[in-house]
Amino acid sequence: MKHGLDVYKIILASRYLVKRRITYFAIVAVALCVFIVVVVMTVLTGLVSDFKQANHGFTGDCVVGTESLVGFAYFQELAQKLEQQEYVEAVSPVIKSYAFLSPVWTERGRGVQILGIEPVRHSRVTNFERTLHYRKGNVDKAFEPVYDPNLPGCVLGIDLVFERGPEGDYTFDSSPIRVGLAITCFPLTAKGALARAATGLVNTKTFYFSDTSHTGLARTDNSLVYLPLEQAQLMCGMDGPAPRVSALYVKFKPDVALQTGCDNVASLWQNFKQQKAEAKYAYSLDTVTVQSWKEYRRGFVAAMEKEETMMIVMFSLVGITTVFIVFVVFYMVISHKSKDIGVLKSIGVSNANIMQLFMGFAFSVGFLGSVIGVLLGWLFLLKMNQIEGWLFEKFGFQLWDRTIYAIGDIPSRVEFQVLVTITLSAIVTCLMGALVPSWQAARLSPVETLHVSRL
Amino acid sequence: MLKLFFCLRYLRKKKIVLLSIGAVALSTALLIVVSSLFIGFINAFEQTAVDTIGDVILIAPMRFPKYSQLIEQLQQSHVVKAATATLVNEGLLYLGKGNVRRVNVVGIEPASYSDVTAYKKTLLKQKDSATSPTFETGGATGADGGFVGIAVVAEPDEETDEYDFAAIEKMIGQAVVLTTGAAKQAGTSDLAATQQFIRRTVKLTIADIVFTGVYDLDKALVYLPRQRLQDILYPDANGPIADRLQIKLAEDASEESALAQIRGIWSTFASEQLEWSPYNIDQTTITTAKQMQYRYVAALYKQMRILLLIFGIVSLSVIMLVFCIFYMIVLFKQRDIAVMKSCGAASGSIACIFVGFGASVGIIGSVLGAASGYLITKNINTIEEWIRIVFGLKLWKSSVYIFSQIPNQVDWVSCGKIIALAIAAAIVGTFIPAIVAARTRPVEILRYE
Repeated sequence: MKHGLDVYKIILASRYLVKRRITYFAIVAVALCVFIVVVVMTVLTGLVSDFKQANHGFTGDCVVGTESLVGFAYFQELAQKLEQQEYVEAVSPVIKSYAFLSPVWTERGRGVQILGIEPVRHSRVTNFERTLHYRKGNVDKAFEPVYDPNLPGCVLGIDLVFERGPEGDYTFDSSPIRVGLAITCFPLTAKGALARAATGLVNTKTFYFSDTSHTGLARTDNSLVYLPLEQAQLMCGMDGPAPRVSALYVKFKPDVALQTGCDNVASLWQNFKQQKAEAKYAYSLDTVTVQSWKEYRRGFVAAMEKEETMMIVMFSLVGITTVFIVFVVFYMVISHKSKDIGVLKSIGVSNANIMQLFMGFAFSVGFLGSVIGVLLGWLFLLKMNQIEGWLFEKFGFQLWDRTIYAIGDIPSRVEFQVLVTITLSAIVTCLMGALVPSWQAARLSPVETLHVSRL
Repeated sequence: MLKLFFCLRYLRKKKIVLLSIGAVALSTALLIVVSSLFIGFINAFEQTAVDTIGDVILIAPMRFPKYSQLIEQLQQSHVVKAATATLVNEGLLYLGKGNVRRVNVVGIEPASYSDVTAYKKTLLKQKDSATSPTFETGGATGADGGFVGIAVVAEPDEETDEYDFAAIEKMIGQAVVLTTGAAKQAGTSDLAATQQFIRRTVKLTIADIVFTGVYDLDKALVYLPRQRLQDILYPDANGPIADRLQIKLAEDASEESALAQIRGIWSTFASEQLEWSPYNIDQTTITTAKQMQYRYVAALYKQMRILLLIFGIVSLSVIMLVFCIFYMIVLFKQRDIAVMKSCGAASGSIACIFVGFGASVGIIGSVLGAASGYLITKNINTIEEWIRIVFGLKLWKSSVYIFSQIPNQVDWVSCGKIIALAIAAAIVGTFIPAIVAARTRPVEILRYE
């Protein structure tokens, strides 16, 4: 008997699903919401993920450094210690500073950020080599212009050199144009004072354009100039008896968890700092911190993650409408099925079973609606870039103007985790909407519902 | 009268109608908040451009002298209220131990610059002064005075995104060092030739702090006297020079005709006074401050429309909800409808009751939604601060979203459109139930079985 009643739940739920046409509205509403959420969240998640990846590729896993333009001393020793650790794959010393750049083709100058690096070491830690164009595959020659390897070269952020095309692409010449760039820096002493106070305060040197770097980070590509580490040290006053750098970028071995690796580096750093407590330039170590790439780039990454959170909250508000629809549909269905419920209860079906019946029905609605929504969303995402390409060709319409936004193709890779989350949310939404009507149905009294005057 | 009576009765008695009112209100409020915030941001962006640049800007391909004659001619045209010449360059500012910032250096003539832009109200110390802002430093060290952007000297608090104004005001009078320069062609066409870069460093004293509320401006702005900047960059220049002119139009001037007149005056001036070639004259950009931002603003409008479209599509579910509710009401009220029809009510009247009922739901829902949207938009900064305090989540940062405060003006035009759409959606949702009600046959409904 019990087994028979359980089978009845499935039969009745299926019957209501098929026979009650009003249920289709609930399914369509759920499918519509799921479709929109799948598309929007896939695109947004993809953009955030691409952005995070670009940031991660730019800095490596961990950064030991200071925000002060003075830098810190004893970095070679620290780098050596880090490279000896079994969890560290590679270390790259880096100088970060500001400079004034004036190209020969204009009488104007502009402020830029400079990054002094050793290209080979830097490529082991970051994706520097992959960002190059002319010297990709020959990163050791990154600072040797093709037209004259004897000239001191520099690598420019791609947006400093080329304009982005309407499809987000760049048009490269077959080789870099021979052009000199005067770069001027403020050299600072280890205590942060101006190093050349008596002789003009700044260092200027001419470098020659050797390659571009395309990191995919708009602010970086628009304002960054890579220089050889020794040259950057010289220009920023970081050379001398105790050479300094701004940071050490660290890459961990593949099997090392990020937080574990950073904790180990932090511990090593504390020991190193203590050992150097009596050294001449120990004070330069005071402002040094150890940060994972996420913490180091949080100013950029956090903003994107917050946008994602805000979109989720806004769609949740919209999802409340779906709860209302499911509630109304179930209210209608249950109002019409009060006789059926009366009959079921009179043959011994419990309140809990009645609730299970209608919650099962709600589950089916949610499941069916989300499957339809997910399938439609997946199909749309599969063709989204082609659709955008067609719209651009015919009507000049782009979802994001590629000359303004630094993105390539719209991310359309569906993440299984995202799909599961959305499907579960849709099912939960339906269950929430059906909860009150199901509970009311369970409380119906057979005596009242089967009364002759009610039949 | 009877129709109104039944509309109001159903509105009061059928509690489930509150759901549809709630759904309409929620969708309306969401759309109004999104459109108001976007449009508020765009308007603030455009207004900032006008406040910073003026109405029109003339950017020449190279520096030019005798600009005072040009300004005189422009002001005689009656479309121009005021004009001011500026020199612009970039540089590095040394603020102290290990602190160097990249800056945009703008050489201005303070009196005429105040007439064209709203920069005076952005100065912390001199905004309330009765006279024109001055670069005087009160005799400190004899160094030149300069106005420096607030985010150049300090960063907003990480948690609250607010500046410590008391500490920042103490920086007025501080000595800083600016390095800037201009390149001079070496006289050869070989691009590889070493460029003669005239590099200049100059000691400055911070005479005032500039706080525009626009982070991207505040983090890089340095104002100097135009003549002083010219002396630094182009010491060999004969007479005052400028590379751009910022123009304030007369109140009643139309932008299009003003631009045409300005182009004409410039063209004549450049060919007769400067003896420039037609090519160089053509290379001059003469545009309104709003037109300069056009591409970015267009991209923002597009994003807004797409977001509204997405939320609008989802809000179509409101139509479904109204349909479901009204269909249910019609089914439950079939006897009432049958009685009305048997008393002589026409099918059209029956349908009108339900359409009117739907319109009432739409009106009440959209008014509630508009009121909620208005309150949320107007108090958005307070809400954001509350979220920060309760959840520790700082949603709006000036370094990310440009402005220090979220623009919170309600856009009544889009508000009106959204309300109209909400009412229309509610009415559309009642069409089928209204038709079903109108087609009710009293004979079938009122039969004894």
